[in-house]
Amino acid sequence: MSAAPAASTRVLFFTGKGGVGKTSLACATALALADAGKRVLLVSTDPASNLDEVLGVALDGSPKAVPGVDGLSALNIDPEEAARLYRERVVGPYRGVLPATAVASIEEQLSGACTVEIAAFDEFSTLLGDPEATRAFDHVIFDTAPTGHTLRLLELPAAWSTFIETSVGGTSCLGPLSGLKAQQSLYAASQAALRDGHQTTLVLVARPDAPSLREAERTRGELAHLGISNMRLVLNGVFHAQDVTDAVAVDLEARGRAALDQMPVALGRLPRTDVPLLPFGLVGLDALRQIGTAGTPPGAAPSAAVESAPGETLGHLVEQIAARGKGVIMTMGKGGVGKTTLAVRVATELARQGRQVTLTTTDPAAHVDAAARERPATLTVTRIDPAAETQRYTEAVLATAGVGLDAKGRALLEEDLRSPCTEEIAVFRAFADTVAHGADQFVVIDTAPTGHTLLLLDAAEAYHREVLRKASGASDAVQQLLPRLRDPQYTMVLLVTLPEATPIHEAMQLERDLARAGITPFAWIVNQSLTPLRVTDPVLRARRNHEAVYLGELAAHGKRTILEPWQAGDTSGCLTSRAPVEFSRGLPAAVRLSRSAP
Amino acid sequence: MSLVEVFDPPMCCSSGVCGLTVDPLLAAFAADVEYLGSHGVTVTRHNLSQDPQPFVANARVLELMQREGEACLPIVLVNGEELGHGAYPRREELARAAGLVAGASAAKPRIRLSADGCCTPGSGCC
Repeated sequence: MSAAPAASTRVLFFTGKGGVGKTSLACATALALADAGKRVLLVSTDPASNLDEVLGVALDGSPKAVPGVDGLSALNIDPEEAARLYRERVVGPYRGVLPATAVASIEEQLSGACTVEIAAFDEFSTLLGDPEATRAFDHVIFDTAPTGHTLRLLELPAAWSTFIETSVGGTSCLGPLSGLKAQQSLYAASQAALRDGHQTTLVLVARPDAPSLREAERTRGELAHLGISNMRLVLNGVFHAQDVTDAVAVDLEARGRAALDQMPVALGRLPRTDVPLLPFGLVGLDALRQIGTAGTPPGAAPSAAVESAPGETLGHLVEQIAARGKGVIMTMGKGGVGKTTLAVRVATELARQGRQVTLTTTDPAAHVDAAARERPATLTVTRIDPAAETQRYTEAVLATAGVGLDAKGRALLEEDLRSPCTEEIAVFRAFADTVAHGADQFVVIDTAPTGHTLLLLDAAEAYHREVLRKASGASDAVQQLLPRLRDPQYTMVLLVTLPEATPIHEAMQLERDLARAGITPFAWIVNQSLTPLRVTDPVLRARRNHEAVYLGELAAHGKRTILEPWQAGDTSGCLTSRAPVEFSRGLPAAVRLSRSAP
Repeated sequence: MSLVEVFDPPMCCSSGVCGLTVDPLLAAFAADVEYLGSHGVTVTRHNLSQDPQPFVANARVLELMQREGEACLPIVLVNGEELGHGAYPRREELARAAGLVAGASAAKPRIRLSADGCCTPGSGCC
């Protein structure tokens, strides 16, 4: 079974940008091993996990047997829930002993993003670093969070054990981490397990397209730098056109081949497994078992799909936005749905109409700049770079609070500023500043993947409450952040998704989460849809028919929806060597495709 | 040698770097603690949000907390005797109480600017 490429080690990590199919491949691998008689534990650490949906069982923090599969258990580390349990461990014993206000304020202190990260990491570390915790299993398979977040998790053992060792006196800013100091040996063990190639394999999952391969190469480099050497590459969705008269199919295959021809050298040296593009969506065990098989398309698929996509285009949407003259546009959605490309297109088109536009990203795996090479003069591209923001914030603190301290006091302050908290605060302030620019021009923000975005918004919420109470110290940008995000005249959220089961369900979940924060999306954009296109290739036809199910579900949802046709530029990210970025204003996509084909 | 115990309000860290804005007084007090330590004084700091047990274990601290609530924090004890509460004492006062220097100090205690801890909840810190 080709989907189980590296079952030679006990522990497997699947990593890659969101939407590349990590969950599906991790599940398929776990399933294949279990079917072969092994006892397997499948672990999700993704804040936006869809493992429940894929396996058809409600998961929580302890292993649950997957019904219908002997030997397979699964669990999901829900960071919010882990944080809640951690908070309760700290606070519980003091209820009724300390004043209620004191208990409440301890709880509040432990309700931020840092506690969430730490608590999730703590759970993760137990599974990886404590052999007892997973003794009952032959294999432990981690379906990790999107790349940026994964790297954070993986980097933390190194960063934190160093931090704990070098801290002076134990009084410095470990924050909630200090509650975990007893776990040092566990962190060291999880670090060792990650690096031991006999124990652990890192499976990099990528799509056969240029940005995905670049991303995989970036991850490979960072993991190699962290001392991890046992890596493999899985290419998910490799496509061969069966019908050469199908322009879309030919273009899709050509694009994949071109991307593979330009595969980064070091990435190309990794052992590799190709998984073909499947004609169906991947929900449920039967579908998962077909990964790595021939993936036979259903011959008699009903042609019930919508033949044309009436209604609004992205061009109409941008015209409406342009008419407002200013404001913040945020593309939100799961990683890999095309947020970056859409943000680039919206920003470019607004700028081309003579509007002053700043395009910025909070995505740790940013490639906005690479995608926005064709740049009108009124378009500025910026990135919220965590390292740079941290540096700037650190300098600002030293220049204010550091003034008047003696040398030792200053050294102490500098050391405290090296804590993991500093970056979170610095990035948050930068985000607030970026949103503030929308008061007098257009700001297009390509937000980080869902989980991270929610943490940001969550932080905004807590900030907002805190600011109301304290009303001092915070910058205007921070104080105004949440009101601005909530004001539909100020902020337009474009909820981006793909015409597939999981992305649409995740987008609906995100919409509910946003509603809780008082934010209503301006419009839904279903990206990379085959529905508006004429396809004849059997695999693509089957996928197109499959889309109808989910588009129907979305239609019933009753929200303003824009269907964006699949196009080469959507996933290649290469907007330069082709025709200039164009909006779909009624132009048949096939024409665009043939014109821009290499 | 003297023992100084500091019962901090709930906060992320003792130097205040995790806050929305860094309170210079917290940074200064962290430096004072370092100074006392380097002169042989044992200083222990207890942060309510990370380590509530000592607040319950010390009768004087618990009684103050129950009567005045969190506003009584920070509480500073020197050799078990209360040096002050609701504000961080200055270095001179600490040094005198810990027996490092003789005589009284005219320095007033520092009053914290912010009403509560350094770490703004949800600031991405704690």
